Amino acid sequence: MKCPPFSYHRATDVADAVAALGAADGEGKILAGGQSLVPLLALRLARPAVLVDVNRVPGLDGLVVRDGVLHAGALVRHLHLAGQDHHPLAAEAARWIGHTAIRSRGTLAGSLAHADPSAELPAVLRACDGAVHVAGPGGTRRLGADELFVGALQSSLAETEMITGVELPVPDAWGFAEFARRHGDFAIVSVAAARFGDRLRVVVGGVAGVPHLVDPGDLATCDGGLSADRVAILAAAAADDVDPPSDLHGSAGYRRALTEQMTARALTQLAGHRTPEAA
Amino acid sequence: MTGDHRPASGTPVRRKEDARLLTGRGRYVSDLALPRMRHVAFVRSPLAHGRITGIDTDGALAVDGVTAVFTGEHPALASVALRALSALPGYVETDQPPLARDKVRFAGEAVAAVVADDRYLAEDGAEAVVVDYEPLTPTVCAWDAGITDPVHDEAPDNLLLSRTFTAGDVDDALAGAHVVVDRDLTTNRHGGNPIECRAGVARYEAADRRLTFWSGTQVPHLVRTQLAELLDLPEGNIRVIAPDVGGGFGVKAVLYPEDVALCLMAMATPGIPLKWVEDRVEHLLAATHARDHRYVLRAGFAADGELLAVRADVWCNVGAYSVYPWTAGIEPLMAGGLLTGPYKLAHYACTVRGVTTNTSPSGPYRGVARPATVFAMEALLDSGARALDMDPIALRRRNLILPADVPYRMPSRLVDDSGAYEACLDRAVAMFDLAGWRAEQGRRRKVGGRPLGIGVGIYNELTGLGRAASAGPRMPFRTGHDACTVRINPDGAVTVFSGVTSQGQGLETTMAQVVADALGVDYDAVDVRIGDTDSSLWGFGAFSSRQAVIGGGAAHLAGADVRAKALALAGALCEVDVSDLDLRAGQVHVRGQEKPVIALAEVAEVAYLRSDRLPEGFEPGLESTKFYDPIRGAFAAGVQIAALEFDPATGEIGILDWVCVEDAGRIVHPVIVAGQVAGSIAQGIGGAMYEHLVYDEDGNLSTGTLLDYLMPTAGEIPELRIGHVCTEGANPTHVRGVGEGGTLAPNAVVAGALLDALGVEVDDLPVTPARVWELVSP
Ligand SMILES: Cc1cc2nc3c(=O)[nH]c(=O)nc-3n(C[C@H](O)[C@H](O)[C@H](O)COP(=O)(O)OP(=O)(O)OC[C@H]3O[C@@H](n4cnc5c(N)ncnc54)[C@H](O)[C@@H]3O)c2cc1C
Repeated sequence: MKCPPFSYHRATDVADAVAALGAADGEGKILAGGQSLVPLLALRLARPAVLVDVNRVPGLDGLVVRDGVLHAGALVRHLHLAGQDHHPLAAEAARWIGHTAIRSRGTLAGSLAHADPSAELPAVLRACDGAVHVAGPGGTRRLGADELFVGALQSSLAETEMITGVELPVPDAWGFAEFARRHGDFAIVSVAAARFGDRLRVVVGGVAGVPHLVDPGDLATCDGGLSADRVAILAAAAADDVDPPSDLHGSAGYRRALTEQMTARALTQLAGHRTPEAA
Repeated sequence: MTGDHRPASGTPVRRKEDARLLTGRGRYVSDLALPRMRHVAFVRSPLAHGRITGIDTDGALAVDGVTAVFTGEHPALASVALRALSALPGYVETDQPPLARDKVRFAGEAVAAVVADDRYLAEDGAEAVVVDYEPLTPTVCAWDAGITDPVHDEAPDNLLLSRTFTAGDVDDALAGAHVVVDRDLTTNRHGGNPIECRAGVARYEAADRRLTFWSGTQVPHLVRTQLAELLDLPEGNIRVIAPDVGGGFGVKAVLYPEDVALCLMAMATPGIPLKWVEDRVEHLLAATHARDHRYVLRAGFAADGELLAVRADVWCNVGAYSVYPWTAGIEPLMAGGLLTGPYKLAHYACTVRGVTTNTSPSGPYRGVARPATVFAMEALLDSGARALDMDPIALRRRNLILPADVPYRMPSRLVDDSGAYEACLDRAVAMFDLAGWRAEQGRRRKVGGRPLGIGVGIYNELTGLGRAASAGPRMPFRTGHDACTVRINPDGAVTVFSGVTSQGQGLETTMAQVVADALGVDYDAVDVRIGDTDSSLWGFGAFSSRQAVIGGGAAHLAGADVRAKALALAGALCEVDVSDLDLRAGQVHVRGQEKPVIALAEVAEVAYLRSDRLPEGFEPGLESTKFYDPIRGAFAAGVQIAALEFDPATGEIGILDWVCVEDAGRIVHPVIVAGQVAGSIAQGIGGAMYEHLVYDEDGNLSTGTLLDYLMPTAGEIPELRIGHVCTEGANPTHVRGVGEGGTLAPNAVVAGALLDALGVEVDDLPVTPARVWELVSP
């Protein structure tokens, strides 16, 4: 469990980072919090020729709300996100990530770029229909959540691109629920629910290669109040909509059952009646 | 100073080792750096079973910083094999090479070793070694596999041993039973996972043929003996040093092929110390596993609940090799010998088998087989209680071995000297507030809320085994004794050279307490040295909850003997009859007198430095070495009761309360004992609910990192409430072992609580939320 050889570049600004990635000819990797990349290096599952360390790039750790949208820098740590109150859904979700040591290092952009389908923040990005700002050799672009995630641990970012900032619209109401084996583990199933006006978005993590946006159908609109009956119907609809895989931590059937339970909890929370069981 | 000796035993004195361990100044093998030292990485088989058709090491040798590559065929290693010996009839002996030769038998087996300037380069080299394999069909499961390619040619049926325990007439007793219950149970493979994985540094000095092996072992003297034989060196030329060791749990009571390879390679590169520190991936893959068993059971009960008969068929998956030196018998024989636990039983028939498979070898792990057997036995009792419509605790009471029954000859012919089960149960029931929890259970059934269940596990822990009961199956050694040397230094302070070893459980402290009290000096005046075969005479090491009983017994005897010597000398010096003298807090008193007649320091000074004052007939020096062997063992009783709640919708399991009462005999250090009990319960909960080493059908380990192999953390372990019952052990310090007992009950407790809450019997472990959900979902 020792990293294979690589060379190391400490980027001074975004342009320098992008240039270093370009010079690495597709063999470069950004090092942010290192909480996903370093284990992969230790297992020799990632073998970049160059590590481009962006931790000293100034100006990427800010958080500001403009026009109902949280604008967060790429290097905002999970702990920072968990402690802010502009975007309570993101704050709640970030609290579920790993342990304090991990949250104090891991970054928002790192989590999104890593694109783990069980991770909390990709689900939140999708539930809020957010976007990332990307810098690359050809300039900058904006990628919506629905385009960013391609498959398990796969994003649509090019090898030479860097996320510089994240847009997270602040929902009018929100709910988040998760089931994990142990305190701090990746979710078996997590559900992020957000309401913007009368539009409801429910995203399920851990049931597909990307955070799964539940087919609108019945879910599309919501008049603000959600009766217990309607929560139950919507939760059952979400469970019907997912087609999860089986693995060591649970069968497809179990994940579907958890989808129903977690959706119900998240929607109950969203509707403002916190159940005693909702964490 | 009043001169009163305040006993150190029984009080929570400050632990000797804490100043260094808690301030980051521990001395672990992993920290050791020696001049000219090089690092080793092993190339491990990606295949569960295959013939090695070629190994190309050129690429590795071309890596910058790589200095050597060894394979099983290297002349330094080619003739050596670890062969676990036993005189048990029908036991099939097999060889385990230090590095695989001809064939690999499990995924993770070491095939080659790369020596380099640092571990990174060694791993670069290891990647560049090319091994060609011709795949063979692997066997993964020990009970439902057709065999295409046997693991070892010597055992075409993969059976390394089998033994049947019988007592009475089971058929007859079952025929007369009021109810008969059947269970078919499997337990989950898991392992010890100490924080510090295996680690070794080997250095060979060719000029005087001396080998020093720093090793995170629990059994340094045993390792020395075995290395002498395997390396063909005089035993006195080998020094094994186990400095601070970061946890062991049995996993480090084994001499591993990697250890032997490291020493052989060091002998081939004289003057250059070689270091290998195992990483977690290697540990999960290739350190010994345990508890991969199946129990097919039938039990008969009389109408009043008397347990009449038990029939058991047991399969233990012993993995690819017979673990050295304990043999493949370690788990099966323990399973058959202890299955019936603390219950009286006349009719017993149990066949145990050790089946070799293409998985990592099984070895000793805290509790050896008994977490599985207690689960099996308690499952029978829980099923019996349901069939008889009896309260499960009442049914247990009906069958416990009571004080009037001891010494009780178990149906396996082991002799139980405890009889404290009922006392532990009474105390546990009272501490737990059984009536309160039953009321809460009823309330939830009526008004709603998560179903609540109460689980119980009662067990006996076979501790401190003497020569008549010693651990392991008829091996060429008996692990019944340890030695201890107590030396009073010229300044009157005391140095103890004990044969015990410590992996974090505070043995320096415990031995110092025992010696301080036996001798009559302050705890602070005693310094304890352990873990170095050049300084202590002999000790078998840490396993079978033996060291407090056996090492403690030796320490007490040696301390008492030095005390007698010191008093004799003091009496002669002061011209007082020895029988009138007493030694307290380092001062010699005439009994009943406040003022000391002479200080121990002055007696010691005479003994070493002032031969002019040495009376007639006295030899210089003040030291004694004693061995102790309890001959039998000290059975320790334990009971755990817990209340758990289950969410049928998600399978979520919540532990609401967990009580454990154990009989540790006379307690030497209350906090250390509580720590042992709590830590072992935590490991037991890990086994019951989280830890599972899963192989796929090709023999690949699916749980290769701690991302998938889940260990409980502080967040998962409830507040444990621990109580004690004290029935003194028949040994010099009146103790009973406590190292393992906690691990024994959690399987039974969790499964029992699930049955009690939701009425479902769980037959395979671990009990995870997914499993609970499957069991209760239509
Ligand atoms: C024990 C443990 C438990 C954990 N539990 C959880 C959990 O419960 N939930 C969860 O969501 N996560 C969990 N994590 C992962 C953690 O959240 C990581 O912080 C996160 O996944 C990656 O962020 P990072 O900043 O550490 O990125 P890094 O590890 O540095 O990088 C991850 C990947 O993202 C790329 N990258 C990083 N920054 C950028 C950027 N600005 N632009 C483009 N690419 C970039 C890197 O090149 C790399 O490929 C856990 C980690 C550990 C070690």
